Formats: sequence, structure tokens, C-alpha cells
Amino acid sequence: MAQIEQSSGGKKKKGAQKKMAIHVDFTPMVDMNMLLITFFMLCTTMIKSQTLSIALPTNEKLEQTELQKAKESEAITLILDTDYDDNGNVKGNTVYYYAGKPEMELNGNEVVSSNLEVTEFLGNDGATQQGIRKILHDRNKDVLAEVEKKKQEWRDKKITEEQFQEAAKKIRNSDQYTRPVVIIKPMAGASWESVISALDEMQINQISRYQLGTLTDVDEAMVGDYKIKHAKK
Amino acid sequence: MGKVKIKRKSTLIDMTAMSDVTVLLLTFFMLTSTFLQKEPVTVITPSSVSEIKVPTSNVAQVLVSPQGNVFMSVLGDADPENAEEWGSEPLRKEVLRTAAADYEKKTGKKLGITPMDLEKFAKNASFGVPLEKMHEFLMLETTKQDEFLGQTADKPVLIGSLRPKDVGIPFKDIVYKDENGTPIATNEFQIWMRAIYNSSNPNIHDAIQKGEGIAVKSDRGTKYETIHQVLDNLQTIKMNKFSVMTALKTESD
Repeated sequence: MAQIEQSSGGKKKKGAQKKMAIHVDFTPMVDMNMLLITFFMLCTTMIKSQTLSIALPTNEKLEQTELQKAKESEAITLILDTDYDDNGNVKGNTVYYYAGKPEMELNGNEVVSSNLEVTEFLGNDGATQQGIRKILHDRNKDVLAEVEKKKQEWRDKKITEEQFQEAAKKIRNSDQYTRPVVIIKPMAGASWESVISALDEMQINQISRYQLGTLTDVDEAMVGDYKIKHAKK
Repeated sequence: MGKVKIKRKSTLIDMTAMSDVTVLLLTFFMLTSTFLQKEPVTVITPSSVSEIKVPTSNVAQVLVSPQGNVFMSVLGDADPENAEEWGSEPLRKEVLRTAAADYEKKTGKKLGITPMDLEKFAKNASFGVPLEKMHEFLMLETTKQDEFLGQTADKPVLIGSLRPKDVGIPFKDIVYKDENGTPIATNEFQIWMRAIYNSSNPNIHDAIQKGEGIAVKSDRGTKYETIHQVLDNLQTIKMNKFSVMTALKTESD
């Protein structure tokens, strides 16, 4: 290995120099390499971060009318809010939602009833959807079923990936199916995480029509009322 | 009975194999590494299922810290053929020149950016001080600059006329008056974004139009109201297509 074998065969001649095995000590080399490895390991990012693309409407107040166009039966509004602990770390994200228009019965200043409901970002439990994902999934099940069919075809190698992506895009934007229009309204205190989670749910549930909106007074009143009634002890 | 002689063995360990392995590992890390960019604040991005990779060239990254400070970093063209003209360093120089000129025109204040400042600015990955303090900031040593940008509320850093409030690019609207006396509301964040968009590098221009050229990065816990102001600014200058930096969602998420 690290020594050079020198032939020791044959007779030893008188006066010949004593032959030594030459050892090269690799320990310092290994030390140095280890240091370099440590340096590179600490300084690198193995996982490149991903991006999520967003398109927002312009600030010109044209799209307000567009916004109203959403059919009541199709619209669903998500209001996002976040709880923080004493150190300012996120404790949990809450999703308030209502379908169609906000409905609220008032008795004086007190809210008697509203169509506001509450859930959370729970993701999947095995193959079943939970929380907000289930609600969105159920509302977009026609599209999801169609996309799943195409996906199966792709898995069976009947169509290529490009064809599948193309078909899925068509299905997502097709008017044949009842598709929801989701309006995401983060509250002032909502965490960035919750906004991204909400946008992510749109991707997961193949929802093509969604927008980020701003809270209205009615929304604020309903959430405020809910919080008072369900104050955590 | 003869004594059993215990043969003394040499304690030399052959390190060749070990050396081989370490060299291999070292090669692997050297080839796969992309260095962490120095950032004024460390943020943990939220996770999503999106699998689009962050572009490494022709991108303007907007970093919003949880305290509500905005930092920016600009990466130019990665093509070595264009490095002279549109690489990161020439691009940054051009952006600072344009932004400073635009600011001087709008406010009538002189910024006094020297060619030395441009050189220093081009070397920095990210920046985040008001244009008015840019010259003073760039005169500082790199360690001082980092110390200033990375300061926290309970440990304020005061250097010269730089105050803790000078951390971050101002993004609240200020009303300027143009030559005809018509008021225009704009802010430094918009000035920077426009300078990047209108640079001589056509690739970053295209990337911004496609929505790949702007990456907004923020911490999980940052409040929406903070980021909303930044997004609002982007909407005002009609850069309403952009991407958001996320981490890959794991199974448990």
C-alpha cells in the first residue's frame, strides 16, 4: 500500500546498502481532507429552494367588477388567521371560511348567527383529506376525478407526461365542470406560512380560479364575533 | 521450555485507503456545492408542493425580514459570454447608477455615489439601506456592514449617522414633485425595481415579465400585513407576476 516494496530476493551482496521499506504517512493528508470536507459540508446547500409562482391583479381598480362576477354558488372565501405564542412564534393557523356571500344575522350590534365556519390546514391522513383540503376537494371533485383519470392513463403509459400536463390544464380551466372560485383573505396578523399553505391547497386541489383579496368589514365582524364566542380558556 | 516470544507489531496504520475515501468525498462536495448566499437575516421559508427550482441567474430576490425590513439582491446573467456586460457585477453597478440618478432627479438631493462605491456595491450580494445613506454605508468595512444589517432591536448598532431605522430599503410611499410640480407617489423600493427592470440586460427584463425574475422570500412567521405592503408595491409598478421562495414539502407536512 503506502510502502514501496523493494525486491528482497536474491543473495545479499556484501556491502550492499540495507534496503528499507519506504512508508509514506498519509495521516496529515487525511486530516487536511477531513477539514476541507467539513468546510464544504457546512457551506453548501444541498437542497435548492423551490418557488411558487403567483400572479396578482394590478392595483388599478378595474378588477373589482370582475371580482363580483364570481357566481355565488361557486365562490368560497377563506379567511386566514394565525395564533402566536409569547415569543412571536407561530402556534397555529386557523382558516375561517364561508360559501357564497357572507351571511350574518344581527340583533342590534350582536351577531346572532353567520355562515362562517372554522377549520385548519391538516393535510392528508393516509388517502383521506382533512380540514380545509377536504372542503376544497369536495367542491372541486369533478375536476379532480377527471385529472385522476388522465393520471391513470399516464401511469399506464398510454399518454406521455406532456400530454397529461396539457390535458390536466385543459380540465382545470374547462367550464364543463362546476369549479369553485376561491378568494383568500389573510387577516393582518396571518402568517406568511398560512398564505403559502392556502395557495398550496389550490395547487393540490387543482383549483385554477383563486385570488388574494382584502378583508371587508363584514368579514372582520364575523371573525371577531367568532373569536369572542369561542375564546380559548 | 523456550519462552514464547511476543512479536512486536508496528502500530503504523495505513492511511492510504482513508485518504482515498476522503478525497472522493471532497470531490463530491466540491462539485455539488452551491455556496450559501450571505444574507442579512436568516429566514425559514414556508413549504409547498411546488417543484419549480429557484433560478440562479437573472433574478431579483426580495427578502422580507420578520421585523419588516426589505433587502434585495440581484443576480445577473450566468452565461460566461455575457459576463462582461450583463453578469452580476456589471448589472449591480448599472442598477445602482440608474437608481441613484432616478432618486436624485426626483428629490433633487445629491447622493455623491463615487466609482469606488459602485465597485464595492457590485461585490455585495445583497443590499438594504436607504439611498441617502448608501455612500456612507459603502464606505464601511464589510464586517461593519454585516454587523449593521444584522442588528437586532435589543442590540442597536450606531455607526456614524447610520441609525437602526436605516436598515432595509424604504418601501412606504413618499410624494415627490416632478419638474412641472405634479406630485408623484413612489418610494425607493419601486425605484430599485424599476432600475433592475430597465437595465440593459434584456434577459432579466424578460424574466421579470414572465414572472420568474422576482423572487419574494420571507420567514414562515412573518405577518401578512408586512408582506402585503411589499406585494402592494409590486402591484403598483405592474410587476404582478412573481414567484415566492418555498421549501419542498415533506410527507409529514
